[in-house]
Amino acid sequence: MITPFEAVLFAFVLATAITTALLRDVLSVIVVFAAYSLGMALFYAFLLAPDVAMTEAAIGAGVTTLLLLLTLVQTVREDDNRTFEQLNIPALVVFGALLVVLVATLTEFPEAVGSADAPAWSNPAVTQYYIENAFADTGVMNAVTAVLAGYRGFDTFGEAVVVFAAGVSILIVLGREVFTSE
Amino acid sequence: MPVAFITGDLVTDVFLGAAALFMLLAIAMFYRAIKGPTTQDRVLAVNVLGTNTVVILALLGAGLGEPSLLDIALVYALLNFLMAVAISKFTVERGGVL
Repeated sequence: MITPFEAVLFAFVLATAITTALLRDVLSVIVVFAAYSLGMALFYAFLLAPDVAMTEAAIGAGVTTLLLLLTLVQTVREDDNRTFEQLNIPALVVFGALLVVLVATLTEFPEAVGSADAPAWSNPAVTQYYIENAFADTGVMNAVTAVLAGYRGFDTFGEAVVVFAAGVSILIVLGREVFTSE
Repeated sequence: MPVAFITGDLVTDVFLGAAALFMLLAIAMFYRAIKGPTTQDRVLAVNVLGTNTVVILALLGAGLGEPSLLDIALVYALLNFLMAVAISKFTVERGGVL
């Protein structure tokens, strides 16, 4: 059952996505893409995934805009008077065909949410272990946090190392750009 | 109401209905972002959209009984000005973003 809020939000996200694809000026695309990010964050919030919505808020509203602008500084913008990109008809036909195929596969998806056969429910011993022992084992109140930072601590540590390496690499690259331009 | 809401609860319906109306308003604002004609118009439109999003998030938080959504609203309120500042700086002194 689709609520009015979802329906309007869906229309908004669709409009922002299409505009992002069609606008000609890159600076305008960056701005409109921020609006798309706002819509997606609302979707995540409405579907009760506050952590994903928080990430989308931080990345979409802050980091993406800044990174894209930093990239734009290094490039040259073509100045012409058209507001919208001209549509490539063959590409549009291919895209339409792909869309039809993807929508056709939608109905074949297994009913994952709330299904009694989902792995989380078909192995109650495993799920129950975490629910019962997470606090005693790790001393963390939130069971999800306990799994992420306790039971899967090394995995999360590895992810943190990857993110740290990516951050350092970006700083090195940006630093070099500044260094050569001066 | 043409479409049924999630719950029969009146307060929830009012909050979610208000959120839906604000969402309609967002589409009206987005018209300016599409039409332009200058980038400044678009920046302003998306900035207002961001403020609108904060209100919608607060309404959703109240309607769905999820106080954690207020945290997201706070993050958005804090980060919303960032894009406007960055693009303004970009337009005035080309190359100066940060």
